[in-house]
Amino acid sequence: MEIVFDKVTKNYGPISVFKDLDLSVSPGDFVFITGPSGSGKSTLIKLILNQIKPSSGDILINGKALNHLKDKSEIDKIRRKIGVVFQDYQLINDLTIEENIALSLDIVGYPSIKRPSRIDEVVKMVKLQHRHFLFPSQLSGGELQRACLARALSIEPEVILADEPTGNLDTANAWNLVKILQDINKKFKTTIIMTTHNTDIVESLDKKVIKLDKAEHENT
Amino acid sequence: MKILKLTFHHIRRSPFQSLVAFFTVFACFFILNSFLLVNRGLSNVLNYFETKPEITIFLKDGLDQSTVESVQKELANYPDIKEIRYISKEKALSLYKDMNKDNPLLTEMVTASILPASFEVSAFNPKVLEVIAQNFSAKSQVVDEIIYQKDVIQSLLSWTQIIRYSGIALIALFISVVFVVIFTLIGMKITNRKDEIKISRLLGASKFYVKRPFILEGIIYGLTGSIIGFLLSFLIIYNFRTTINSFFQPIIFVPNLTFFEPLLLLAEISVGIFVGLSASWLGARRYIKW
Repeated sequence: MEIVFDKVTKNYGPISVFKDLDLSVSPGDFVFITGPSGSGKSTLIKLILNQIKPSSGDILINGKALNHLKDKSEIDKIRRKIGVVFQDYQLINDLTIEENIALSLDIVGYPSIKRPSRIDEVVKMVKLQHRHFLFPSQLSGGELQRACLARALSIEPEVILADEPTGNLDTANAWNLVKILQDINKKFKTTIIMTTHNTDIVESLDKKVIKLDKAEHENT
Repeated sequence: MKILKLTFHHIRRSPFQSLVAFFTVFACFFILNSFLLVNRGLSNVLNYFETKPEITIFLKDGLDQSTVESVQKELANYPDIKEIRYISKEKALSLYKDMNKDNPLLTEMVTASILPASFEVSAFNPKVLEVIAQNFSAKSQVVDEIIYQKDVIQSLLSWTQIIRYSGIALIALFISVVFVVIFTLIGMKITNRKDEIKISRLLGASKFYVKRPFILEGIIYGLTGSIIGFLLSFLIIYNFRTTINSFFQPIIFVPNLTFFEPLLLLAEISVGIFVGLSASWLGARRYIKW
């Protein structure tokens, strides 16, 4: 999945988050988005998901501008190809972790017969195999982050958008999560877009970095 | 996750709201079905009076057989006549004794000679009876008295119509209440589950996908409420069938089971499903905006 920002500006009232932002992410890329708080990292993720609209400019997914799509169901189809690790987890509180993953699989139309094995596979991948029957309120911040990753991975997405996925994890778990994302990127050519504050991770890996600043944003 | 499982999950998560919706639908169909069954009984009452010998022509004493036969022939010549029964003096006495068998004092002194012979005439078209009444009242040398139940039928008919019309108004009112309750309740449930819906939408769920459990929930209320409402009112009325029928004797107010009951059940289920579906569909359409 190719993602292109063409002179995208996003304002929240009088406050400009970014102005005339250009960026391009090709299929199979692993991209870090860095920048200080308030620089628009989460806004960028929300724009890709069409959760919010740009004030001006176009966001193109596989060449199609999101804000010019006539058929609104196209947005749903695009979202079904994207796995998202939300900063605030966005898990449904009265469903267990297993049920949250199953819901996601149901939404993308994953074959029913393969769902239990797929759930087992992803909970093992994020080391939640003994916690998947618990509700979100019964898990720690780090476990919730991994549960959210498990849900994103389960649908075998073309793109994974990870919004500060290491924010609530200790160093070992943070590296473990990055390793999972690296493996998926390498093995399945899944595009990874990850926002992070963690400079150690960004500097240790030789990946594309998009740095957002409050005053001005540049594509490095 | 299967849609039915998700729907029952929604119902379980807010049991009191769900109970309110269920009881409203149930109460509506309980009253609706009771009314329909009572209305059916009233139709039987009306039908009984309409088909009963509606006109009784009492003959003068001392008429010879040929005069009686000529009266019978004349009656038979009218169109739409259903039945003409000749009640002789002896037959009249036997009927009288039968009617008063528990009160021997009333039967002791009565003989056939003091009771008049009569013709009981029923017709398919009550208007014919009116003509007969007019024509025979002029035959004073043959006819002693005419009893025509027109007023009784007219009054019964107008009461039945009042009951039917008020019943229809009541049904319309109850169905509106069910509609508003389900519509509002689905709105409340959607507001309560706003975050869940937003998350599902972000994961790529279509609007229809997130609406489905709420629409199905409305259908479930309509379906279960109509079935249980029907069954309970049906069982109560049929349980007291003997008592009700003996009160209305000789009219059968609650008849034996026929195809009417299953058809009525099917009709009520259809109405229940339709109201539940339309209210929840409109509720989901109105409140799901994400």
